[in-house]
Amino acid sequence: MLSHPASRLARLYSKFRQHNGFWILVALGPVYFLFAVIRIYPILETIRLSFFRYHITKKKNPFIGLRNYERLLSDDAFHAALINTIQFTIMAVLITLFLALLIAILLRSIEPVSPIFEIIFYIPVVTPWVPASVIWKWLYDPMYGLINYAISLFGIPKQGWLQEPNLIIYAIVVVAVWKMLGYYIIVFSVGLKNIPTTYLEAAEVDGASPLERLRYIILPLLRPIILFAVVMSTIQFFNVFAPVYVLTASAQGAPAYDLKVVVTEIYRNGFQYYRMGYAGAQSVVLLVFVMMMITLQFMVFRKEH
Amino acid sequence: MSKKRFCWMTVIFILAAGPAAAKQNLSVWLGYGETLPAFEMVKEKFEKKYPDIKVEILTFSLRDFEAKLASAMPTGAGPDLLALHDFLFPRYYDNGYLEPLPPEFAAIANDPTKMNPTYTAIVTREGQAYGMPYWTGRSTLFYNLDYFQEAGLTRPPDTVDELWQYAEKLVKKDTDGNIERAGITMRLTGPSGGIQKFGYLYYQMAGEQIFELGQKPGTVRVTLKDNMDVAVQALLDRINHLHGDRKVDDWTLKHDAQGFASGVAAMLLRETWAIAFIKKNGPNINFNTAPMPKGKVRGAFNYIEILSVSTQSKLKSQTWEFIAMLQEQEVLNTLLTTSGYSPLRKDRDFSWFLKDHPRYKAVMEDIADYNQYLEPPNIAYEEMTTRVGEVLQAAYRDGALADNPEGCKKVILKMQEVAEDILEDNGILSE
Repeated sequence: MLSHPASRLARLYSKFRQHNGFWILVALGPVYFLFAVIRIYPILETIRLSFFRYHITKKKNPFIGLRNYERLLSDDAFHAALINTIQFTIMAVLITLFLALLIAILLRSIEPVSPIFEIIFYIPVVTPWVPASVIWKWLYDPMYGLINYAISLFGIPKQGWLQEPNLIIYAIVVVAVWKMLGYYIIVFSVGLKNIPTTYLEAAEVDGASPLERLRYIILPLLRPIILFAVVMSTIQFFNVFAPVYVLTASAQGAPAYDLKVVVTEIYRNGFQYYRMGYAGAQSVVLLVFVMMMITLQFMVFRKEH
Repeated sequence: MSKKRFCWMTVIFILAAGPAAAKQNLSVWLGYGETLPAFEMVKEKFEKKYPDIKVEILTFSLRDFEAKLASAMPTGAGPDLLALHDFLFPRYYDNGYLEPLPPEFAAIANDPTKMNPTYTAIVTREGQAYGMPYWTGRSTLFYNLDYFQEAGLTRPPDTVDELWQYAEKLVKKDTDGNIERAGITMRLTGPSGGIQKFGYLYYQMAGEQIFELGQKPGTVRVTLKDNMDVAVQALLDRINHLHGDRKVDDWTLKHDAQGFASGVAAMLLRETWAIAFIKKNGPNINFNTAPMPKGKVRGAFNYIEILSVSTQSKLKSQTWEFIAMLQEQEVLNTLLTTSGYSPLRKDRDFSWFLKDHPRYKAVMEDIADYNQYLEPPNIAYEEMTTRVGEVLQAAYRDGALADNPEGCKKVILKMQEVAEDILEDNGILSE
């Protein structure tokens, strides 16, 4: 007679065979393995490193407990980066989603030609961040840039878009909105197309104004799409790196104000100062922060629902 | 012969013959691509002498070079020959990645008639040198001869005070008071470079650098607090010339060597490489160079390239031979003419070059009482200069600090505090 644990094992094995466990393992195993290696392991390793004074060229990298996190509390550069990132994210998310929804609604009113406009709006989305940012750097050039030339036609003096600390964040928000707008127009367009026209027609017959139809029919039915857009854009903009890196890179003839955001700070600590442990602690804070914001967004949308 | 047996024999032949036929690689990584022609010249000669060795030279932008080297050395994937900037040197010395100089090289490095001891000191720890100083980039004053003539100035400024007086005479403003041409182009962005350029004049005024070597090797002392009056004056000089009536520069202008080459700056303090840059990017700019203006002392900042051999190299003696070939007169001539960097060997003759290129006199000739100094190499250099530079550049923008010594004093104290905090965190703050 089989012992108790052995019989449980046999039952498990029989269930495994019954549910084609082997084939599931063969099919999904490599995917899970890759996911673990590429996604899970780096996150765990980053968390581990954040407890060490880890410098990649040093042979001794001692365990220092929570000292990296302690240092974060008094790091002015990180605080500035965090505040700038929050400001940037709020502005970029609100402007992008507001404009995207507005344009998507307007495009519905010119349904037959809307695909042409959708393609035009989508072109920046497929343009890689770095060349797009370089183009904008030229546009923003204080001496020879097109933007300063355009405003000078209206008698407005030249501005240091990338040199003035008070202007640069707005300059980068403009680039980010321009880049991602097309994507969210498509997202909202898909959502709008899925709203049954009968609802809107019935409301129109009942005498609802366009604004009332927007408020009481379109927006409530678009709620899942809006939630998706808010979550995705928050993650994207909170992790902003390339446009900030390119537009704030101070080069020979193109001086720029060094606007700090969280990811450029992580990059700087990790790959310029080689303080991998400290950069790890910053990454963990970023992760927690983004997770908290996403949770909050889910809670707000669910509560309203 | 059966097919099976033929296949087996082929596999055995490939396995046996493959490794023996492969050439050995001697790898060289460069962060200054403009010096490549000199290395290519030696490569050709070297490969003729050693047909079994293939020299592989890779060039990167300086930032990429630093990052690639930092990740490659700990994993044993780094180059045989390390061409290190002086501030990178401690990172590799401290962790045992560098071979000591063989006696024949040490004899050259330690001979003051062949090598300036200032440069040898940078690569030496406990009496043993770990690299061969190769070339230097030296700070100098660039001035636009046409703008000087326009302003009635017949010679370059000789003192720090004169430099600012000249800048006020050379600045050009439009009818609304907006600056069209800077009297002197200052380093207003890029914090690590900013503190370095601030340090150029601070050195002349204080007689020492902002960061000096500490008593213990590898440690650093911050001198701002010790020279408070000078530091405040150096900061006031800049801020007073960035705001109000005495303004001589503006953030919206093109800056640095590009600004000078574009004709929007009358003076520039920069290193040797800018000569070739200005000639290339501003061929119509009529300029000359002069020694740094003096204060309490006169001195030029130097940054040097050091050639070292990795302890992980399997071709150590051959790599040293490659470095020896790089010291030959014709190779150094190529280095000088193609990159503009001045070779450091004093026993080589470059008088022919100065005859053809007199603008290099200010950066190549040894002048009496003209100190040549280097920043103290340390592992926190990049972080410290960036963070302190951020404090400095935020102050530049604050118009309330103009003619405000007390406000400037607070900025200087903050700079001292930021630097000491980073040095302490890295365990290299001098007692």
